[in-house]
Amino acid sequence: MSKFLRLASILLLLLSVSTVKAQHEFGNSRISGDFGFNGMYYIPDSIIGAEKVDSKVRANAFINLLYSNGGFSAGVRYEYYQFPLIDFEKIDYKGQGIKYFFADYKNKFIQVTAGNFYEQFGNGLTLRAYEDRQLGIDNSLLGARVKLTPYKGIYLKGVWGVERRNFDSYIGRKDFVRGADAEISFGEIFPVIQDKGFVARVGANIVSKFEKGSGDYIFNIYPGPDSTAEAYIPGDKIPENVLAWATRMTFGYKDFRLEAEYARKINDPNVSNFHIYKPGEALFLSATYAMKGFGVAASFIRADNMEFRSQRMEYSNSLLFINNIPAINRQYSYQLIGNYSYASQPNGQIGAQLQINYQIPKKSKIGGKYGTDLTFNYSRFHNIDKQPVAEAVANGTPTGTEGYTSSFFKFGPDLLYQDIGLEISRRFTKHWKLILAYNYITYNIAELQGHPGMMRGHLVAADLQYKINNKHALRLEAQHLYTKDDDGSSAYAMLEYSVSPHWFVSVGDDWNYGNPDPNKRVHYYNISAAYVWNTTRIALNFGKTQEGILCVGGVCRAVPASYGVGLSVTTSF
Amino acid sequence: MKTPFMLTIVLALCLSLGAQTDKPAQDRHLAKLPAVDIQTIDGKVFNTSEIQNDGKPVIVSLWATWCKPCIAELLAIADEYEDWVEETGVKLYAVSIDDAKTSARVAPFVKGKGWDYTVLLDVNSDFKRAMNVNDVPYMCILNGKGEIVWQHTSYAPGSEQEVYEVVKRLAAEK
Repeated sequence: MSKFLRLASILLLLLSVSTVKAQHEFGNSRISGDFGFNGMYYIPDSIIGAEKVDSKVRANAFINLLYSNGGFSAGVRYEYYQFPLIDFEKIDYKGQGIKYFFADYKNKFIQVTAGNFYEQFGNGLTLRAYEDRQLGIDNSLLGARVKLTPYKGIYLKGVWGVERRNFDSYIGRKDFVRGADAEISFGEIFPVIQDKGFVARVGANIVSKFEKGSGDYIFNIYPGPDSTAEAYIPGDKIPENVLAWATRMTFGYKDFRLEAEYARKINDPNVSNFHIYKPGEALFLSATYAMKGFGVAASFIRADNMEFRSQRMEYSNSLLFINNIPAINRQYSYQLIGNYSYASQPNGQIGAQLQINYQIPKKSKIGGKYGTDLTFNYSRFHNIDKQPVAEAVANGTPTGTEGYTSSFFKFGPDLLYQDIGLEISRRFTKHWKLILAYNYITYNIAELQGHPGMMRGHLVAADLQYKINNKHALRLEAQHLYTKDDDGSSAYAMLEYSVSPHWFVSVGDDWNYGNPDPNKRVHYYNISAAYVWNTTRIALNFGKTQEGILCVGGVCRAVPASYGVGLSVTTSF
Repeated sequence: MKTPFMLTIVLALCLSLGAQTDKPAQDRHLAKLPAVDIQTIDGKVFNTSEIQNDGKPVIVSLWATWCKPCIAELLAIADEYEDWVEETGVKLYAVSIDDAKTSARVAPFVKGKGWDYTVLLDVNSDFKRAMNVNDVPYMCILNGKGEIVWQHTSYAPGSEQEVYEVVKRLAAEK
């Protein structure tokens, strides 16, 4: 009960902040902020695998405050995750305190930040300090950053910092990250280039990680309690500095654009690559063409041994990543394929993605009065080709060797993920609107989730909206996943009724009717209501969540099965 | 025990903020957009303080190519956008929070939909953070002076009508 009281008091406190409406101005200075509260009351359910948890009432809560005055700004975030939602507890995102604060000064030529900051160089192949609150990722750096614009079109950045690791203390840390990035935008320096319709930019960066060694290294090759395979690397062979660098360029002419970035990382034996000394590399290419009513985007990625972290022994899915190798596949929000979302594989993936958007023109015979949007998508990712080096074969382990060789453009033998999809979106009248989608998805469960299997499934989805009038609307989502693999087929339907702009009420059911185990043919139902007032949203929901994975932008984490009542409140002020 | 201490700090801050709301409404100048460097669709640096429309109203939408309600909202406005521009001179800035994974697809996506919005890229969510936005879709409306007069999160079909009413009122105020 005391935990419940504590959570309630936190919620009340945060709510009291939200009653402070409008802007807060003291002369030229301004204070603004936002907060979020996400709580749940858990009910055990043995059939779906929702475990009995030690505290039934749990919540994540945070508050951000920002102060600004002219070019100066400062901010602080207080987080209360002492009894976090169970999926956050599983990734060890547990604790409370101020783990984000900064002061920043900016004028036309210079920006200086001290404290925590988020930053990205290029596409993030070498450095990307970012946060994703839904996933429980916060890779901010605590240190200092300087950005310079010495001349229009020339951008320089320098960073130094220690990476955040959940609620752990920074004191005593033996690792830090430093880096510098430069970008030249020719169109801004020479306006004539821009006037003729060209875009030309180049950039380069270096990032270095330092982690103090601690003598000789004896460790489990495969992390986890079951492993007994030990390996040994003498202390003087452990690189304390690991350097990564990248170059990039963008070239465009009118509606055409080509982007390329190549990154490389020197020897970085770490737990994810079984402590090999092979350098890592990554190539990211993207070409797009767009004109009114038509767009094409094609991209390619190859990543080899590019997992780059602040600590060589860290293996948690969400912690201490310095870089981010993007998952370039199209991301869907369909309920039934949520568990089959591709996760980026920084240590070995090669693949491509193509997306075509076309709008059958408005007021045409086929397009109808409002036009019809078509989206076609294809993506395919493989692992990379890996041939073990002779030394690794002789030793019976890659550890301590160069590991393997890999032919650059060769696709590896295993298909990781494939998606073929078509989406049609059409508005028929002022009242009716329909989105239809079909996807054929191949998802390598063994490689991406670590238990055997390959999922091949057909997904059909419909999203039908009926706008009763300017205030009231109904939306029906219906989905069907047909598959003989994994948990079998499922059907899903969700009906949402909204009264603009304040109310949303919905009921939904995800029925895993095709589960090979008849006892697991469960209805995962959900009832929810939300009230929105300006920037405040309060939502209450009740239902069951299937055990699975949650992916946001190609980064995934496990979500345990759960059953219960949830309350979420977000606001900004 | 650290917790009560932290709570006291937060509480004190809240109260100090609360004290500030007593100002008469007309004396209070409304907030403007924070000045944050983001990018144009061409990848050029663009400072958000430059979001303006010659004294006419501006709509700013924070969205992403993977966010269904965001797209539904922008589509609903797109159907009427021509009329809105004609009647009020409004300009819509669609600030995408797509990151490196999907930001290259924003331009073809927007063109494929035939949207006439001014599209900007906030690839590392700097603008989103400075605006204290938790979730997309988020929309705000600026008056001719660039002051934020209306904000909203979430999208319910039909709420674009409220947006239009606000814009129309602002255009008439001029």
